[in-house]
Amino acid sequence: MRIHTAVVTILTVAMLAPLQAGQGPEKEELKLKLPKPMFIGTPTNIKSANLEVVTGKSRGPFMVPIGTKLLSAKRPVKSSDPQPVIGELEMITDGEKEGGDGYFVEIAPGKQWVQVDLGASSALHAILAWHYHSQARVYRDVIVQVSDDKDFLKGVTTIFNNDHDNTSGLGIGKDKEYIEVAEGRLFDPKGIRGRYVRLYANGNTSNDLNHYVEIEVYGTPVK
Amino acid sequence: MMGAGLMTRSRGMFKPPYAGHDAVSRIRFAALVGVALVLALGLRVVGLDHRPMHHDEANQAVKFGVLLETGEYTYDRTDHHGPTLYYLTLPVALLRGQATLASLDARTVRLVPALFGVGLLLLFLSLTSRLGRLAVAAAVLLAAVSPALVYYSRFYIQESIFAFLAVACLVALGRYGERPTLAAAVTAGVCVGLAYATKETTVIVVPAAVAAVAVARHLPSGPGGHRMAARMMDSRTWPPARHLAAGGAAALAIAWLFFSSFGSHPDGFVDSIRAFGLFFDRGTGTGSHSQPWYHYLGLLVWSSSGGVVWTEAAILVLAIAGLVSACRATGSYWQRVVALYAVFATLAFSLVSYKTPWNLLPFYAGVVLLAGIGAQALVTPWGQTNRWGQIPRRPMIQKPWALTPSAGQRRALTPWLVGAVLVAVCAHLGWQSWQASLRDGADPRNPYAYLHTSPDLLRLVQRVTDLAALHGDHDRMLVRVVAGPYEQWPLPWYLRRMTRVGYWPRAAEAGPFDGTPVLIASQENVPALEAALGDRYISEMYGLRPEVFLTVFIERGLWERYLATRR
Repeated sequence: MRIHTAVVTILTVAMLAPLQAGQGPEKEELKLKLPKPMFIGTPTNIKSANLEVVTGKSRGPFMVPIGTKLLSAKRPVKSSDPQPVIGELEMITDGEKEGGDGYFVEIAPGKQWVQVDLGASSALHAILAWHYHSQARVYRDVIVQVSDDKDFLKGVTTIFNNDHDNTSGLGIGKDKEYIEVAEGRLFDPKGIRGRYVRLYANGNTSNDLNHYVEIEVYGTPVK
Repeated sequence: MMGAGLMTRSRGMFKPPYAGHDAVSRIRFAALVGVALVLALGLRVVGLDHRPMHHDEANQAVKFGVLLETGEYTYDRTDHHGPTLYYLTLPVALLRGQATLASLDARTVRLVPALFGVGLLLLFLSLTSRLGRLAVAAAVLLAAVSPALVYYSRFYIQESIFAFLAVACLVALGRYGERPTLAAAVTAGVCVGLAYATKETTVIVVPAAVAAVAVARHLPSGPGGHRMAARMMDSRTWPPARHLAAGGAAALAIAWLFFSSFGSHPDGFVDSIRAFGLFFDRGTGTGSHSQPWYHYLGLLVWSSSGGVVWTEAAILVLAIAGLVSACRATGSYWQRVVALYAVFATLAFSLVSYKTPWNLLPFYAGVVLLAGIGAQALVTPWGQTNRWGQIPRRPMIQKPWALTPSAGQRRALTPWLVGAVLVAVCAHLGWQSWQASLRDGADPRNPYAYLHTSPDLLRLVQRVTDLAALHGDHDRMLVRVVAGPYEQWPLPWYLRRMTRVGYWPRAAEAGPFDGTPVLIASQENVPALEAALGDRYISEMYGLRPEVFLTVFIERGLWERYLATRR
């Protein structure tokens, strides 16, 4: 009987061990400092199959591994338009996320990208972007990519792509468009590793320019 | 009888009032005007098709298309202004070889207001002998680069033509006040008739111009030739009855011709009068276009939105200097005519609660002319004119490089300083005009882009065009637009080359949808269409105007074929 109990216990432990290992590190809620909404209410009457459902409610808690940090703060930013029409590229990682004048960078019309250099390859757990949130608008062809190559020629992982007709030539995206709101849009990189984060956009529903208030990249440095 | 006496007395006494000819030589004047005309033309005609069509532009362009194709026009008193815009577009379209709505393009229709925008400068030039070369040179330069005047000169609406005709009325009435002849009365009548056939707000600008001329004639004029003229004209007399009759007849005849579509719709003119009930309700109501009295001035002084700042305050400051100059004892008749018109018209338009930004043009054209007078006044400060009101021919330049200039030297430096400031002001205004017209033409941060069509709509148009190219019916591909009138425009313009596009305000009236490859819907109609179309269609969303969206439904098979071309 004792032998039988011992065998069952060993077998049980042996079976559960891989499961335990697969759960990974413990998680905690990602704490974000959000700006004030700039327009009253979210336009819930806007509907399209290619548009994320507008609930008018705030995003729920997002869980990240314990020890996840903001890696993008004050990190250098590059862009396909090195001379913004309004603002400076550094404003994209300065921590200021308000929607008013003086908080956003305006870059050239058409397909443009901005790229944040995290300084070292890290496991990424959350990427947030605020394009422009003082007006209900949709930014076109939003693509988020991660790579260890600063030129994004190799080892590129696309974690979000709503370019549903391949306007940008980076492949047809299956993700949906979304309306800009004060809490920003959260992209889940699912722990993928990379040093550079690049975001593409291609104008918006109000004008053909591209804007960024802030980009935040959360992750855990790789040791 | 009194009028006849006035005629007799005024005959042969006319001498253009002198006002600062010597401040700028003929050659410099010609050079400045040449620069202004080149700037005006360049800023008004380059890239005319760059900005998407505003819904008001599109509506007028389609209405013109009907006139172009059928030769017919019927005045619509419920939602349109006068017909001159359409008739004046005819020669431009024919010269460009465009005889149908489908063949028309934005450049053709927008060229008409653009040319009248340049024409405004030529009207200013007609006052050179009355206001002085410097005042007119400054005014044409400011008009050439003023963002408001430039932006709406590129807009296919009545306003640019109307501003031109408002100033034409002022000049014609001012000349009649100066020398009341029958020909001058008829000329003024023609201008008033054309203005009325352009826009109903003639009932504001013409009384403002008449009042300006009447008051200016009653005021004692300053030194110079006009003092003599003013003394010889009996300002207490009314215009002779035959002048009033001839002028009124000319105005009525012109207005009747246009509103009646040159006789084919006789009721048009009466309808134009009946329309004033609607205009009065709109002008005094509290609708979405209702704004406080200071709206126009605030818009011109300072407008800041989304990190972009716009200002034409320099023109207003110069206009105030012009007003002060005109009010002084040395002010001439014509300076006062311009100043009083600018004040009366600005006040009148400001007091009307219905305000759209382009409505500022008729009074702002007068303000810009007054700013030219102000620039001249700043260059020729008080006491620098001689007893005939003339500026000394040779400036008293002694040692401009001296560290401590004498009073004479300071006076001599004044024109150069004011000139340098004017150049800087014009450069800034020109840069704003370029931004307003080309870079931010449809941007909601541009204060002149009022409820403007978003460039995103051009993507929708491109999508429909691309789909039609793939569809077997090509330009005959059926498209159903299910949206209220406010959300339909400017689609009829952009889809003008497609022959089977239908418009319905509500989904319930637009069906059945079977066999319709593409549908375009306003947001309130989307749920009904989604329910009716199911998963046989994919949908996309496009911006029509800021925070106004359209959804396009595309039959899934057609979409897949389209997508195959994009991989």
